[in-house]
Amino acid sequence: MTFESVLAQARAEGRTLLNEVEAKDVLREAGVSATATELARSRAEAEQLADRTGYPVVLKVVSQDIAHKSDVGGVKLNLANKAAAGAAYDEILASARKAEPKARILGVSVQKMAKPGTEVIVGMTTDPQFGPVMMFGLGGIMVEVLKDVSFRLVPLTDRDASQMISEIKGRPVLDGFRGQPAADVEALKSTILKVAQFVEKHPEVREIDLNPVFAYPDGAVAVDARIVVAES
Amino acid sequence: MAVAGHRLDAMFNPKTVVVVGDKGPGYMWIHNNLPFKEKGGNLYSVQIDEKEIAGIEALGVTNFRAMADVPGPIDYAVVAVPRHVSPFVLKDLIANKARGAGFFTSGFAETGEELGIKLQEQLTVMAREASFNLVGPNCMGLYLPKVGVRFNADAAVADDGKIGFLSQSGTHGIMFSLVAAANGLHLSRCASFGNAIVLDVSDYLEYLALDDETEVIGMYVEGVKDGRRFFKVLRDACARKPVVVWKGGQTDAGARATMSHTGSLAAPQAVWDGMMRQCGAITTNNLDETIDVMKVLLQTKPVRGNRMALLAQTGGQSVSITDAFARAGFAVPRFSDQTYRELAEFFNIVGGSYQNPLDMAGTIQGKMETLDRIFRILDADPNIDCYAMELSAMFGARQWKRHPEGLDSMIDSLSAHMERSEKPFVLVMHPSHEEVYAAEIKPKFTSRSIPLYPSFERAAMALARVHAYTVR
Repeated sequence: MTFESVLAQARAEGRTLLNEVEAKDVLREAGVSATATELARSRAEAEQLADRTGYPVVLKVVSQDIAHKSDVGGVKLNLANKAAAGAAYDEILASARKAEPKARILGVSVQKMAKPGTEVIVGMTTDPQFGPVMMFGLGGIMVEVLKDVSFRLVPLTDRDASQMISEIKGRPVLDGFRGQPAADVEALKSTILKVAQFVEKHPEVREIDLNPVFAYPDGAVAVDARIVVAES
Repeated sequence: MAVAGHRLDAMFNPKTVVVVGDKGPGYMWIHNNLPFKEKGGNLYSVQIDEKEIAGIEALGVTNFRAMADVPGPIDYAVVAVPRHVSPFVLKDLIANKARGAGFFTSGFAETGEELGIKLQEQLTVMAREASFNLVGPNCMGLYLPKVGVRFNADAAVADDGKIGFLSQSGTHGIMFSLVAAANGLHLSRCASFGNAIVLDVSDYLEYLALDDETEVIGMYVEGVKDGRRFFKVLRDACARKPVVVWKGGQTDAGARATMSHTGSLAAPQAVWDGMMRQCGAITTNNLDETIDVMKVLLQTKPVRGNRMALLAQTGGQSVSITDAFARAGFAVPRFSDQTYRELAEFFNIVGGSYQNPLDMAGTIQGKMETLDRIFRILDADPNIDCYAMELSAMFGARQWKRHPEGLDSMIDSLSAHMERSEKPFVLVMHPSHEEVYAAEIKPKFTSRSIPLYPSFERAAMALARVHAYTVR
């Protein structure tokens, strides 16, 4: 789906939040590497999509009202076969409805379980004074507790993207430690630059989280994504 | 030199300056600007208050009772009238096609009261409609040392200023210019722009970036009006010359809802810092740091590497100077074998050392030719990029007081070395128990453009920031 059609649909429904499936679709269209993700609206559909995707798969709840999916039992990882995927669909819906009875639940996203990598976050927000600004940081504790992140205003040059990566305090983590392989810094750079170009092209976009992005020795892939657009 | 065609060009290179509404007994603004007249500029007064006119004319300045009577085009006006009169003065300035004016008058939006806000709005609308170059209000206006337009009676008149300085605060603008001059550094052009209702920091910055007389730009800012424009202008300015940004105050976060993790992490200061690095600006936290960095930029050779040769007078200070530079990120490497061979020929290692740092008082013993010999050896050392040298006021003051020629000949040696060497050099003299004497001899160094610092840490910080800028 194109960004324009996703935007039109969201606006028709009075939403400013694009869900994971929509966000990944438009980012993949913009050349950003993200796991292919589809929406299942029923258990049967979830099983069918899981079969087609190939195991192991990940199922996540899709709802504009649920910000932290794992907090409501809305994420099931490493599902090995059709029966597990089907059961996970029911469990996710039941537990999300229990935790957030008023949430509008669209369904469940189905995607192939990505192999683990070094977790980073690539994001964008709109600063009230300086406009669109990109962010980069390491995932997990580095960003949550230490706020070890770097910022650059859009548009970005190649050097800006390199410096965003090199100036975080946790930079040595990307070189690999305790048996972890080194991360593909060029792929991370390309992710930052492509998201920045996407933002430049679409001024309606207010905020983006690619959280986490898995960085591998060769390549990087966003396994979750969220986009917030301006009210029409 | 002028920046032909720029809207601020006439104001920044005035031939005719008018002081509007100056008052006795001090006549501060006329006094500030008498050097402009002495240097051949047309300095006039506009004042309708009869009881002030005699005092103004006694200073040798012609007064006019109406703006329209001023001969020739007005390039810059200093407006020091009560706030309720300011819209009338602005109207007259616009009608007479003045090229710019600094409004010293205050009592506008900064007061937070209704009348002040209303008057500011009135000035803003009038000036914008006429594209009038209004500096301020609530500011000290322009300081142009070369032509003698000044915002303070102590401010220097100087032909060779190289620093363009911009300040949202009048105090910081004045204090920077005075402290810079006390350190042997002069300004090319300076604007204190206060409430910035028409011209904001980006407008002045754009001019200074293009101005050939301005080699280095400094600024004190608390906030900017148009963030995107500031980003663009600053980035372009940094591509042309070094820009030192001293940011004061906390940026207002502003109320905004965020639905993303990124949004919750984007603190205003973090975004500002990212932008500074993106532009390639040198950032500082206070006046001293700003001056310290300016000294490196204007008084040393270009900083090309981070390998220091450290020259101290005693063992204890050898450790301290090394700590300070190492903490600031510098390398203190071994000298080359050739250097060690040459130093071994004469270095006194009893009570001294010629590792890096050099502990050298016992070797030099007041002989400048020995100091010179050390410099020449280190100049040829490929392992070394920069020098920092300690002078000891604690040990030196007693001798220098008795034999001032000893101090003078050392300054000659240092000056000759700085001229000869391609490697940047900074000098550190802690005043120790001789604060008054240290202050007394400081002009001997500043007049020779020797970058003198009162602590190892300040010298190291300044050199480190310029090094980071050079290799950015």
